[in-house]
Amino acid sequence: MKKVITGDHAVAIGAKLSRAEVVPAYPITPQTLIIEHIADFVNDGEMDAKFLTMESEHSVMSAATAASAAGARVFTATSSQGLAFMHEMLYATAPLRLPIVMVNANRTLGGPPGIWCEHNDSMGARDSGWLQVYVEDNQEALDMVIQSYRIAEDKRVLLPVMPCIDGFVLTHTVEPVDVPQQQDVDSFLPPYMPDITLDPAKPALFNTLMLPEYIMELRRQTAGAFESAKKVISEINDEFAKKFGRDYGGMIDTYRMEDAEVALITIGTVTSTSREVVDELRKEGEKVGIVKLRFFRPFPAEDLKRVLSGVGAIGVFDRSISYHGGGHVFNEVCSALYGITKPIINHLAGIGGRDVTKEVIIKMFDLTLKAAKGEKVKEINWHNTRGETV
Amino acid sequence: MFEVRFHGRGGQGAVMAAQTLAEAAVIEGNYAVAFPFFGAERRGAPVLAFTRIDAKKIYSKTQVYAPDCVVVLDDSLLDTIDVVAGLKPQGTVVINSKEKPEDIDLGKEIRTASVNATSVALEILKAPITNTAILGSFAKATGIIKIESLEEAIKSRFGEKLGEKVGERNALAARTAYENTVIGKSRGIKKLEPRKQWLPTYQEMPVGGVLVEGITEAGLIGPGSFIENKVYGWATFRPVRDREKCTMCLLCWFYCPEGTIVRISDKGDLMTNYDYCKGCGVCANECPVDAIKMVRARV
Repeated sequence: MKKVITGDHAVAIGAKLSRAEVVPAYPITPQTLIIEHIADFVNDGEMDAKFLTMESEHSVMSAATAASAAGARVFTATSSQGLAFMHEMLYATAPLRLPIVMVNANRTLGGPPGIWCEHNDSMGARDSGWLQVYVEDNQEALDMVIQSYRIAEDKRVLLPVMPCIDGFVLTHTVEPVDVPQQQDVDSFLPPYMPDITLDPAKPALFNTLMLPEYIMELRRQTAGAFESAKKVISEINDEFAKKFGRDYGGMIDTYRMEDAEVALITIGTVTSTSREVVDELRKEGEKVGIVKLRFFRPFPAEDLKRVLSGVGAIGVFDRSISYHGGGHVFNEVCSALYGITKPIINHLAGIGGRDVTKEVIIKMFDLTLKAAKGEKVKEINWHNTRGETV
Repeated sequence: MFEVRFHGRGGQGAVMAAQTLAEAAVIEGNYAVAFPFFGAERRGAPVLAFTRIDAKKIYSKTQVYAPDCVVVLDDSLLDTIDVVAGLKPQGTVVINSKEKPEDIDLGKEIRTASVNATSVALEILKAPITNTAILGSFAKATGIIKIESLEEAIKSRFGEKLGEKVGERNALAARTAYENTVIGKSRGIKKLEPRKQWLPTYQEMPVGGVLVEGITEAGLIGPGSFIENKVYGWATFRPVRDREKCTMCLLCWFYCPEGTIVRISDKGDLMTNYDYCKGCGVCANECPVDAIKMVRARV
């Protein structure tokens, strides 16, 4: 059934279709619509879930962690300062291997205060042990909530997942979304059946003090789950594609990369605009393509090496800055492609919610094409930034 | 480089002893470092502290595994911990004990100095805090540090924290122990089985480190496993309650950090489970009618 809805509405429907049982919530723009829609679903009897209004995001993640340990399927959503406020609790959830799904609506992390799209908020949580997937439209946002539960609850993974959706660009934009049937989602996503839960009848110790004799093994175990997740993500993508007819590619997606001489690695909604830019540049004879980075954690290093083997230069788009020079995606791509002697050009744009126009994306391709031809190009480029030359 | 490992119990001041020794070494123009290793610490639990002394700057930031000297602040530790592990063959053990070295079985015949630091501390400091006394014994046994430097370091370190008088009394405790130290050789009869530890590989570790009731080679794990952790051996004192004076206000029951005071019935009588009483004295301290006396559990 097609519905013309916002990204936030699509995410809320995704949570409902996934039969989330506990939703601890605290509002923050531009995510608030998600929990408002869920509150409506619960109030109207459409969704059988415990909706908990908490006093802060820190409490939200505490409640989410406890509810998940008690065996419930848990959903919540946050953004920016809210994600920062729950930072401490993010680190408790992952090593406990609790499969919570939380959508982050990407927003500028103040200061300065700003409500518009930027990736600095979720990038700050990249080492918290949560899987992260970035999406490009409202359909993918809904579908990834459902897929995220399958990935998170897979016994080979058992890690929390954070689908990231660009604030306003998706959260407050309506577009047609094919809403899956409940029975189809039910057959794709069985109920969550954890082995051990917080149960007074069967006591268990969760999150107890661990001496140095144990923590290293626990970290190694968590790191191993991230490795396993790569295979699981791919399997579940394929299963979802078979059932619902939408194939997102798994860890990454590619667009017109078959004979591409230059690739732009994109993340979030800029992927979507870039597809049109690629079509236009292709008409002009430029052999360009896109590698859409979907999962940032685990990082698809092997996939990138594979799809980028034939290109002469790689452009990397970042909507966040890590203050060592470039953006987060750039750092990780350079690390993943270590030893490969091709120009890797960082394109910073859209920070603080500045619109990423087609002209800016064309400029990214132009610079990357120049680098492929052996021309001297700056490694880190601040696009559409006064005082900078690109 | 001279390396020292201190074995004590939480509250006896092993960490302070290690630091004070370092300060005394610095007073003599050396370089020294001292550091603790804290496990799941609480009053009475076994603790480790380390001191390194050298003429030049010390860069090593690891624990001490092959000490030149081992200092034992509490001889009840000998039952469970192989205190001489890694000790250099020509090394020395300094031990707080009422026994002479010849009567102390360390599982190894080794140069040993003993002093009844608990009695010294109780007499001079009015508390079983043996760290300064044992340092005096250390000075006598090793000759690594002069007793005068130690007294100066004790006065400075303890005086600064606890007042000049306390500093002087602690220096006196060190001097007294120095003079009463007996040096000899330990016995080497007993075989101390190394304590078994559950050390799972990362693949064997339960997912997320979540533990259910279980048993391993090393004993119980998970909920309820603490029942194996009897702590009566830690206690220098144990509480004895005067039932006539007791008003059943339950403050002791509330404050006991180990949960060893049990309400037998609703009408109320209390029982102390001495297996798990570490003798900290919190109950006696909190009792508003002085119904609880701490009596010496071991001499």
